[in-house]
Amino acid sequence: MTDTGAAGVMERPWKGPFDVPWQKLMMWIFIITDALLFAGLLVGYGVMRSATEVWPDQNIAFNMNYITLMTFTLITSSVTMACAVAAAFAGNKRHVTLFLWLTILGGLTFLGMQVYEWSHFIHAGARLTSNIWGVPQFSACFFIITGFHGMHVTSGVIVLLTVAIRSAMGKSSAQGVENAGLYWHFVDLVWVFVFTLFYLV
Amino acid sequence: MSESEHSASHGYKGYWMIWVVLLVATVTMIFIGESKMSTAPQVVLLLLGSSIKSALIIFFYMHLRFERMGLIMTVLVGIFVTSLLMFMIPAYDAGHFLENSLYK
Repeated sequence: MTDTGAAGVMERPWKGPFDVPWQKLMMWIFIITDALLFAGLLVGYGVMRSATEVWPDQNIAFNMNYITLMTFTLITSSVTMACAVAAAFAGNKRHVTLFLWLTILGGLTFLGMQVYEWSHFIHAGARLTSNIWGVPQFSACFFIITGFHGMHVTSGVIVLLTVAIRSAMGKSSAQGVENAGLYWHFVDLVWVFVFTLFYLV
Repeated sequence: MSESEHSASHGYKGYWMIWVVLLVATVTMIFIGESKMSTAPQVVLLLLGSSIKSALIIFFYMHLRFERMGLIMTVLVGIFVTSLLMFMIPAYDAGHFLENSLYK
């Protein structure tokens, strides 16, 4: 609804306190709640680790060069996603499709690398309730936190595939691409903290 | 200026510049993580690095800087303050680590 002010000038329609489309607001609310889920997992990990006398050295348990490469892959997929959103708002459909597929490729590469990391970790004797380092919490936290994140990456890839196909068919709006992008950046954002708290600290 | 105009005017260059900053920050954090410094300053520096990286992603890639202050505050307070409170309360129970290790 558009109102006319006292001076006869058309005023901007009231769009609520956040002034964003409802789909975008819903995505932000979802991201906040999902962030709290990961915050709970990471806080649980932090408290568990604080209460544990010894903790395995990550440099021994993991190949840090490999984990760094995984991180670079995800960060790079985030920048291609940002470019896809910019292209969508600029109306450049060819670039939208290109950058969306590059983002999907980055997501699939990350997932493939994570599968390899998991299989390597399992072959090293790590289980959900035990491991060769004698600290069951270590592998439990690893599987649950990176597993949850991996599931989110998988969901993100599915969402991006849907948007890419719809975009190629001319059915996806710029807002749809942006909403998918918000979710994908969130997945990257979570990895920033998982990488720091689990692999570096 | 609308969001689409912002995006069109800036192109992709700004996003790739942020990407370079994120990569440099990641490498720096890896060096900090592998350094021999004591736990407390190491954790503080790493969390600071993570916060800077996440702020770059939220404000530049997720375009939160173009949104109203109400949404910005909802997101930041909702996530970070709640996370901090969530950590502070149970961390008190794990205090023996804080007493025995972190401040030594």
